Formats: sequence, C-alpha cells, structure tokens
Amino acid sequence: MAVIRGTKPTRAVLIALRRRIKVAQTGHELLKMKRDGLMIEFFEVLNRAKTIRQELVNEYIRAEQRLSLAKAADGTIAIKSVAFALQKEPAVDLQSRNIMGVVVPKITAEAVHKKMYERGYGIIGTSAAIDEAADAYESLVDKIITAAEVETSLMKLVDDIEKTKRRVNALEFKVIPDIKDTIRFIGFALEEMDRDNIVRLKKLKAKAQKRAKAEEAEKAAKAAAEAAASAT
Amino acid sequence: MPVLRLPKFGKPVKYAYITGRVRAMKTKLIPNEMYARMLNMDIPEIARYLEETQYKEEIDALAKDYSGAELIEHATFANLAKTYRKLLEVSIDEPQFLILEYLRRWDIWNIKTILRGKFYGASDSEIMKYIVPAGELDMEFLEGLAKKDSINDVIAAFEGTDFAEALSKYDGKFLASVENALDKLYYFRMERAVGGTLSVGGGLLLKYVRREIDIRNLITLFRMNKAGIEASIVQENLIPGGKLGEELSRMAGQPYADFVRGLEGYPFWSAISDVATADLDGVSRIEARLKAYLIRYAWSLSNYHPLSILPVLGYIVTKETEVANIRKIVRGKEAGLPNELIEEQMVVA
Repeated sequence: MAVIRGTKPTRAVLIALRRRIKVAQTGHELLKMKRDGLMIEFFEVLNRAKTIRQELVNEYIRAEQRLSLAKAADGTIAIKSVAFALQKEPAVDLQSRNIMGVVVPKITAEAVHKKMYERGYGIIGTSAAIDEAADAYESLVDKIITAAEVETSLMKLVDDIEKTKRRVNALEFKVIPDIKDTIRFIGFALEEMDRDNIVRLKKLKAKAQKRAKAEEAEKAAKAAAEAAASAT
Repeated sequence: MPVLRLPKFGKPVKYAYITGRVRAMKTKLIPNEMYARMLNMDIPEIARYLEETQYKEEIDALAKDYSGAELIEHATFANLAKTYRKLLEVSIDEPQFLILEYLRRWDIWNIKTILRGKFYGASDSEIMKYIVPAGELDMEFLEGLAKKDSINDVIAAFEGTDFAEALSKYDGKFLASVENALDKLYYFRMERAVGGTLSVGGGLLLKYVRREIDIRNLITLFRMNKAGIEASIVQENLIPGGKLGEELSRMAGQPYADFVRGLEGYPFWSAISDVATADLDGVSRIEARLKAYLIRYAWSLSNYHPLSILPVLGYIVTKETEVANIRKIVRGKEAGLPNELIEEQMVVA
C-alpha cells in the first residue's frame, strides 16, 4: 500500500482525492486514446517514411550516375563552369501542422524544379548530360525535403508516443493506485477516528452515569439519615 | 549581328607548310588501340601512361595542385590549349585566320566561364581553374578579366569588339541570353569566315560548319522538345544558319514522338535510329551519338584535299576527341561505370 506522503487523513482531503481520482481516470482514458491514435498515425507515417527513404536512395544513386556521366561527357571543368551560372538557389518555407496535439513541420520547397531555360545557363553551349544531371539533382533535393518533413514528423510522433505512454503508465500504475490507496487509508483512518469517538463517548457516558448514581446514593443516604434523626 | 570584315589573302594560299606540321603533330596523338588498353588500366596507370606521351609536361606541372582524375582532366585540357596555340603560331594568312575563327569557341567558353564566375561571386583564382586558353584570348588577358570587380566591368572590357553586342544582352539577372548570344555570334562568324574563303576545301569546310550548326540545333530540339517547351522559346535557342535551319526551326515545340518520327530520312538518322525512340529516358545518349556523327563527318572530310584546311580541321577535331576520350575513361573509371557504358560515350576512328 503506497499512500501519498504528507496526506492528512481528513474528510476534506478525502473529498479532494475523490475528485482527483475522477480527473486522473478521465485523463488516463483520454491519454490511452491519444496513444492509440498516435500509434495508428505513426505506422502510417512509418510506411511513408520507409517508401520515401527508399526513393531517396534511388534518387541519389540516379543523380550520382547522371553527374558521373555528365562529368565524363563534358568534364568537371564544364560542369563547374555551368554550376557558377546557377540563377536562383532553392528556398524552403517552414510551417507547422498538428497531428493529435503533436506539432510536426510542413516544409514547402520553392524554386527547386526549374525548366531547363530557367536554370541560368545558355542552352546552345551546354549539353543534355548537364540537363539530366541538374534535373536528377533537383529531384533529389525535392525528395530530401519530403524525407526531412516525413522523418521529422516520425521522430516527433515517436517522442510524443513515448511521452504519452509514460503518462498513461504513470497514471495507470502509480497515480491512480496511490490515490486509491490513500483514499482507502483515509477511509480507514476516519473509521478509526469514529470508533475512538464512540468509545470515548461511551466512556464519558458511563462516567456520567456512575457519577449520577453516586449522587443519587448520596442523596438517598442523606434522606435516610434525616429520617432517622427525626424519628429519634 | 555584327558584320565580319574578312581579311584579303594573296592567292594561291599555301597550305603545304601547315598541313606538313599537322601531319607531324598527328604522330604524337594516342593510337586508337591504346583506348582499349586504357579501359583496363587504373587511373594511376593511365596517368603514368600519359606521362610517356605529349601530356607529360602538363601532368608534371599540375601534379602539385591536382591528383587522380582531376589531374588528368586539367592536364589534358592544358595540353589541348597548348596544342591549339601552337597551331596558331605555326600558321599564317588564311589558314591562321580560319583556325583562329574555329578556335574562338574556346574564347566564348572562357568569356562565359568568367561571366558565370563573376555572377556567382567566385574568386579570380577559382575562376582561372576552369579557363582553357585555347583561343585568341591569352591567359594574361583572361586573368585580367577574372580580376575585374563585376560582370559589367568584364563586359566593358570588350567595348568596341565583335563580342560587345552579344554581351550587351546582359540584363543584370540572367546569363542565359548572353551565353546564347555569344554562341550564336561564334557560329555566325564561323559561317561567314569560312564562306568567304575561295581556297580548295573551303566549300567542304563550310559544309562541315553548317552541319555542326544543324547538329547543335538538333541537340537543342531534342532537349527542349523532350521537355515539352513551347515553340517560341525553343526557336530563341536555335542557332541561325546551317543547312537545315528552316526545317529544324519548324520542328520547334513539336510533340516529342512526332518530332522523332519527322527526323527519319535525314542523313544523321542512321546514327541515332536505334536510340531515338519516343519512350527514351534521357537525350544524352542521342547527343553523344550526334556528336560522334559530327566527329566522323569531320574525319571523312579531312581526307578529301591533302593540301587544304581540311586536314587541319581533322587534326583539331581529333585532338579534341582524344582529350574527351581520355576524360571519359578516367571519369568513367572514377565513377565505377561499366566499360561498355564508357565505350559507348567514346569516339574512336
């Protein structure tokens, strides 16, 4: 039996604890529901993350191959020269959205995928191999941004599931049993106090009766003495 | 377009000396059978082999700055620049003029690299790493350009030259239009310069230049039609001139499958017929085939008139192909590409 330390076994505390256990039980039910909901969401996001991770690896391999081919076809010197002409660097817009109380990022990319004539280099003096390498890397950056969003969501969900699980367990195995034990303890203590009071009252009552009897006997003795004296 | 003033040369123009020098220079080229052996070598082995050839000096000089594939690429480009400058030094009159006009493509390359470097904010030393001084503009002048503070300063340095009009297309935020204008200028000059020569072989050289324009336009059409870009934008990126200028211009913006179908019957079709399919993933394979087709065309022309500009053109193209083949082998090996894929990219006579 684990009683909450420092609890005074009073009726007021008992009432407060009864109110608290109701809140704890409601909270426990809600947190259990949240945990189950997060788990469902987690598995959905996990599947997406697995797919995106695989796609990311494939995109990376494809981009590396395209770059290698472009390096072979045009040379690193040409690639570096063309890379200098990059007109606009990709930017990301970071927002957030809420999944059952968990704030996860929402990343939107800007200017990642460009048309070939928007990349900044002239078409006539460059090659298709450079286009293909640039295109493959643009797709890779797109995939990295999606993967970053999904994987961060996944990590945040894992954190929150862990936190919720700890809370559910704490309520289920510690807080609620402790309150129940304390209520039982206070109940016992109050019953004990009641019994004490009854015994005390009984004792007082007996004392009072005894005193009344003694007074009556004294009065009777006094009356008998007075009657004897008048007879003589 | 600026009007190119052609110099007047005395007739008959002597090609015996320059073709003799070119024949001697040809003996220093890597023999074709070596490419198959190089495919089975590691990168250090290839570097060691190249040290036994004309590339020794450049490999030794650049070994302190670069290593591996990077060293070989920079060394081969440096040697290419040296070889082309030597060609210019040993030629006079009309041959020199024609060689110079042809090699101006490297001036265009260097100007574009400097503009891009300035646009990006790269340091002058960083920009100079990617310069290949194989044209008229020498290293000192290019270094001076790279040291300029801004793109506008670089453009101002060309005031009064033929490049000025093309460079004036710079609007402060977009380099593509300047780059395209420079490339168009190059082909305009080249077509006019070759068209002005009356020497033997001049007609065939003009045919080659026009075919090169057609092939470049065809590659642009493949790239842009495949990407589904609208006709007006595609047409802006086509080089005026060439033999098939009008016909190719009409193909701009066509649906890719229709465009490919429309190419059947052209002389270059046999070079790409097996790879130019409607469901092709990328057009780089077609581009490689078309470039190989052009190189082979230059080689076939080089044998027509032994005492003309054509053997010189053949040598220039062969030298550039040699450098490209070496680069394809070492870069392919570095990336772990299979030998078959590397071979597909190479052009060997």
